Amino acid sequence: MNYKRWFTDYAPMILIWLGLVLLFGILSDNFVTSRTLATLASQVPPLAIIACGMTLVLIIAGIDLSVGSTLALASAMLGVALVDWEFPLILAIVVAVITGGLTGLFNGAISVYLRIPSFIVTLGTLEIARGLAYLATDSQTKYLGVALEPMARPLPGLGVPISFLIAVVVIIIGQFILTRTTYGRYLIAIGTNESAVRLAGVPTARKKISVFAITGLLTGLAAVFFTSRLGSADPNAGVGMELSAIAAVVIGGTSLMGGRGSIINSFIGVLIIATLGAGLAQIGASEPSKRVVTGLVIVLAVTIDALRGGFFQKLKMRFKTGTL
Amino acid sequence: MKKHFKLLLQTTTCTALSLLLIACGQSKSDKTSTETAEKPVIALIMKSLANEFFKTMGEGAEMHHAENPDQYDLIVNGIKNESDVSAQVDMVEQMMSRGVDAIVIAPADSKALIPILKRASDAGVLVINIDNKLDSDILKELNLNLPFVGPNNRDGARMVGEVVAQQLQANDEVAIIEGITTTFNAIQRRLGFEDAMQAGGVKVVSKQSGYWEMEPANNVASAMLNEHENLKALLCANDSMALGAVAAVRAAGLEEKVLVAGFDNISAVRPLILNGQMIATADQHGDQLAAFGIQAALDILSGGEQPKDQQTVVDLITQETLNQ
Repeated sequence: MNYKRWFTDYAPMILIWLGLVLLFGILSDNFVTSRTLATLASQVPPLAIIACGMTLVLIIAGIDLSVGSTLALASAMLGVALVDWEFPLILAIVVAVITGGLTGLFNGAISVYLRIPSFIVTLGTLEIARGLAYLATDSQTKYLGVALEPMARPLPGLGVPISFLIAVVVIIIGQFILTRTTYGRYLIAIGTNESAVRLAGVPTARKKISVFAITGLLTGLAAVFFTSRLGSADPNAGVGMELSAIAAVVIGGTSLMGGRGSIINSFIGVLIIATLGAGLAQIGASEPSKRVVTGLVIVLAVTIDALRGGFFQKLKMRFKTGTL
Repeated sequence: MKKHFKLLLQTTTCTALSLLLIACGQSKSDKTSTETAEKPVIALIMKSLANEFFKTMGEGAEMHHAENPDQYDLIVNGIKNESDVSAQVDMVEQMMSRGVDAIVIAPADSKALIPILKRASDAGVLVINIDNKLDSDILKELNLNLPFVGPNNRDGARMVGEVVAQQLQANDEVAIIEGITTTFNAIQRRLGFEDAMQAGGVKVVSKQSGYWEMEPANNVASAMLNEHENLKALLCANDSMALGAVAAVRAAGLEEKVLVAGFDNISAVRPLILNGQMIATADQHGDQLAAFGIQAALDILSGGEQPKDQQTVVDLITQETLNQ
């Protein structure tokens, strides 16, 4: 284990998060309590799981703007399967996850085979999936009652719900695949120089499609946890969630240009965003100040990350070589 | 070969899409040619059609039209996101260029829509304001008379608040989850809640926006419950947010201690009111609201009525009224 590497990779992000926790601990009466931490643990799983997929998409130099709508569609299908079709819970969950997976597959197949930038394809899917979510629910919020509640309830003795544990497992597996498998290394290579990888004889198309499909599947899973926490399937769910996910991933230092990223850091990015939201609400910050502070923290975190990545050295070098 | 196939695929997709668009356009223009003859054309412009409240409103309008098909023609429009003011402005413009006789509008913002509605009114289009009242100071300043047909949100919220206050004692603590704070309805409902709390000597310890949506409201409600341990009630400016608040209360295990109230009486909250997880909501008869507006427009267009404000009824919904 390379401790120095570990330190430079994760420590800055963790310090920013701890700094926020400390700050809100001072500013509010009851922030650093088991209750607040338990609330955070139940809030972060959906975004954390989506951020995991988003990291992979950004690494291959793509983007997925449809995750918020896909979440709503999967959540709607979960509600329809449970209430209208009276499916057993486990089958309804499968329906939701597959719905997400198919949406992702659609994104990947269209953008890769027709060579349309994923930005545009997923922008279209953002609308399509939202429309389908309204159709599936007849534009009404579906109250699901307590059917899903066990998943949102804290596990005895641990204080965190099962969704949190699953999110952590997803993150760990994701990071492992990204850094320790050939598949993961290929994704990074595709993001760095796709044509070189293709000329080396690697079928990049299938790999790229699989990344979008995985993101879709993960979004479907996120929808299950999202819905279980609220006990209702809301066709308006997850509006703007793609931006939260991208913000979290970028805070975690993943490059929008592809080829660089860390799922663990994306997870810490999610923690930072969730902590910020909970903390600002808990100190009762006014609406405008919430927006300004959230934006500032995103910029600050990305700046720190840029400095860490030897941003200034690169700048100096470019200045010297006259490429600036 | 592969390239040709792709080109073919692209061309066919494009052609199919354009044909579809042409088909859609044609069916619409067919309608126009028959309707411009003598019947007045009334455009109903609502907020988010995805929100059940506006959906029932639209259905009510269509029912009103089905009962009086020979009196007028109806165009129903909505924006996809409740806060998307500019989309609504565009829609008013489209309706003006379509040459409608009257616009019945639920403005997404009580100020931002005024300039375009003034232009419509100056162009001779009758503008009836429903649901969310336009800012009366600005209207007065511009010397505009746009009749408002709708409920008194402040009275409705006060009624809901009074039911909550009856269950509480002086100096008990409650929190308010507001809608989007720039809208008139959000402000009126907050004021109504505050009126009732003040009358009962109950303290409002936190007021924050849940953006009219379930998940943001859930996050804010969780933060409020964590910060204010003695909270006795969460007053929510609409039912979607109340659903989010109920989930937060349940997650915190505070079902016995914290009351949740909402507004709008959407179908998803009925089971919650019946089983006591929510104490009250208000029904503004949204289904009839647009119909009232349309009727008012017809009365004015036919010359029988002077343009003036009309107040519609708001009913209190509790376990008792639902059981009747």
